[in-house]
Amino acid sequence: MKALNRRKLITASAVLAIVGLAATAIPAQAAEVGVSSTQIKLGMTLPMTGTASLGYNKIPGAAKAYFDYLNANGGINGRKVTLVVKDDRYVPTEAVAKTNELILKDKVMALLAPLGTANVKAVASSVNPARRGVPVLFVNTGFSGFADIKKYKTTYTVLPSYVMEAKIMGQYIKENFAGKKIGLLYQDDDFGTDALAGFKSAGTNFTIKVPYASGSQTAAAAAGWITKFKAAEVDVVILFGVSSATSAMLGVAAQLKYAPQWMLGSVGGDATTIKLTGVPAGVLYNAIGFSPVPATTDMKDEYVKFFSDIYAKAVPGSPFDLNVLLGMNTAFMTAQALKAAGPRPTRKSLMAAIDSKGATFANSALVPAGYSKTSHVGLTGYWVGKYSPTGDLSPIGGTYVTYTTDSGSGPVVKSTYKRPAMPAKGLPN
Amino acid sequence: MFILGGVVLYFLSGVVDELRVYQGATIAVYVIAIASIILLTGYSGQVSLGHGALMAVGAYAAAVLRIEFNLPIILCFVAAVLAAAIGGALLGAAAARLSGPYLAGTTLALAIGLPSLANQFAVLGGEQGLLFDVGFPPLALGEEFTQYKWFFWIAALAALISMWVIRNLLNSAYGRAWRAGRGNEVAAQLAGINTARSKVLAFTISAGIAGLAGALLAMTIGTVSPSAFPLALSFSLLTGAVLSGITTLGGVIIGAVVLVAIPEIADVVAHRLGSSESVTTNLPGLIVSGLLILTVLFVPNGPVEQHRARKAKHAAQHTSSKKKDKH
Repeated sequence: MKALNRRKLITASAVLAIVGLAATAIPAQAAEVGVSSTQIKLGMTLPMTGTASLGYNKIPGAAKAYFDYLNANGGINGRKVTLVVKDDRYVPTEAVAKTNELILKDKVMALLAPLGTANVKAVASSVNPARRGVPVLFVNTGFSGFADIKKYKTTYTVLPSYVMEAKIMGQYIKENFAGKKIGLLYQDDDFGTDALAGFKSAGTNFTIKVPYASGSQTAAAAAGWITKFKAAEVDVVILFGVSSATSAMLGVAAQLKYAPQWMLGSVGGDATTIKLTGVPAGVLYNAIGFSPVPATTDMKDEYVKFFSDIYAKAVPGSPFDLNVLLGMNTAFMTAQALKAAGPRPTRKSLMAAIDSKGATFANSALVPAGYSKTSHVGLTGYWVGKYSPTGDLSPIGGTYVTYTTDSGSGPVVKSTYKRPAMPAKGLPN
Repeated sequence: MFILGGVVLYFLSGVVDELRVYQGATIAVYVIAIASIILLTGYSGQVSLGHGALMAVGAYAAAVLRIEFNLPIILCFVAAVLAAAIGGALLGAAAARLSGPYLAGTTLALAIGLPSLANQFAVLGGEQGLLFDVGFPPLALGEEFTQYKWFFWIAALAALISMWVIRNLLNSAYGRAWRAGRGNEVAAQLAGINTARSKVLAFTISAGIAGLAGALLAMTIGTVSPSAFPLALSFSLLTGAVLSGITTLGGVIIGAVVLVAIPEIADVVAHRLGSSESVTTNLPGLIVSGLLILTVLFVPNGPVEQHRARKAKHAAQHTSSKKKDKH
């Protein structure tokens, strides 16, 4: 009995000691998670390996190239911006696991540019950054649903939505291809649903619409699509799919000498990604394309020149393409948001800064951003261009004609947006 | 023993941080999924490369019922088991005629094809998937009770129950029939066992358990979508089963922990070495593959079985040397 009591006493004191230790181990309330006096930590999940990583795996390198430049020039009020990158292989389970690590273990201040609609949705539901108050800056998807500020309280989009793109395509067709027969190839999921909604709002009439299931975009399938478009005798074919669908379609069409006027959605219109699938970039020649940021070859553009110079030094030998430009542009906007968040940035002040000043952040895009207290919508339009024989998109007639619209029923208008000049040395002011 | 395990897990979930609780939930899900493979492959001798697809069936069943009919969560899980079991019975009926590489091929096709079927039906949400929300933990558990702790409790409880069920099944007449069929099908038939029916039954039960794992996986990530059930999932479950010891149910925790821990270990190693991103991202795959090869080479029956065998051998030597002493 005595022995038992003694054992109880020992156990109790051991428990007390542990509890005491644990209590002292809890640090005093820090300024903000992920922010110290010397650094600001951000986290990113995206596919770095696997088939879906083609092209996208250059984004972290691009963002880091800018942050390294920024850090070498004093950082944000003396704090260095560091980016923790995790590979999610484009699998929602992995995206959730890795985002949990970023928030709970690496203790990042904010999530940056997560990629893929299914992944962002899974993270929003399971990790629930909104409830944790963690900002999700500039998601890398054009799904219009993420602009729902009630559902995704802390999420900010940056790419124009698929709805906006379809509406602008519809407007361009109205202005340039009136009376022509139009065909549409689209992916039959949320991506395609957004597109159809946009075309409907623009009042575009299609002679034929060909849906394809994600993952079915093979050369054999492309031959089938071409048969349908040929039979419908269309003049213009819009490819509103992913890059692999574009390359399958254009590759087979070149072999079959089928040459309507092609029009490519921005998701499936990146030449470097298409080249990576083994199709020569020449098949893109003369196709019409859309982009919110300047042509990547436009070295007269101060932003493009600045970004490509930094990138060439940071990642020598890697071509400067649309993914790189968008990645650096996102980092550039993030830097301004952090600067605008004040001398002691917090998650709250960061989001407040984007709400109040986001629409005026300097960045390379030629279209306005829609950030405000009631909207987390990023860029709101596109310019229209044509592809060169090397697969580079440049503006028709040499000048950028930009359109802007919304994801609802608003009109498509030619934009009068005047882009802010690049701040001195490309650093946030 | 299972109750004791539950009590230990209960206290554990209280002291570790939230990330570990989340990983614990994932481990519990893997435990169930790997156990379903061990039951099928280790005990009834059938190979499946398609358990990821059966998990998807369970997950979609649970999510659709939750969204369309707002069923209580426990019924969603039961439905997940039933739906996947029906799928498994159909597959099992076909599988009973196949064996070896043919069976592997058939189930492989299923793993590739089935999840993307979701793209064809609007009710399944296409590529973006469906939300699967099991709701917040009951308020009675306190304000501080996190969502992941709730997931962990549900998953751990499900794991304990399924392990208990599987253990009892394997020790029953069914389990003996499965083992007899695996050892020698002709001999089992001569002994009066209907091996075809016994195989289909094994497939059905294994699929039902996989369905439960699928629904739990969907719970931990909050959504169901085709991309959550890639081919790689089926393969890593099989890898987990081999690492656990394909014929040892008790080793299942080893495989589950390894699958969750490897990426984290790889992360630490890569950071110690200060190596580049491409190393960090490819290291987990390398480690898992390396472990798989080493396991197959050196401990083909898994570490637990190996240890047991060594112990038995040691004991045998011990007794035989004792006998010698007597002589």
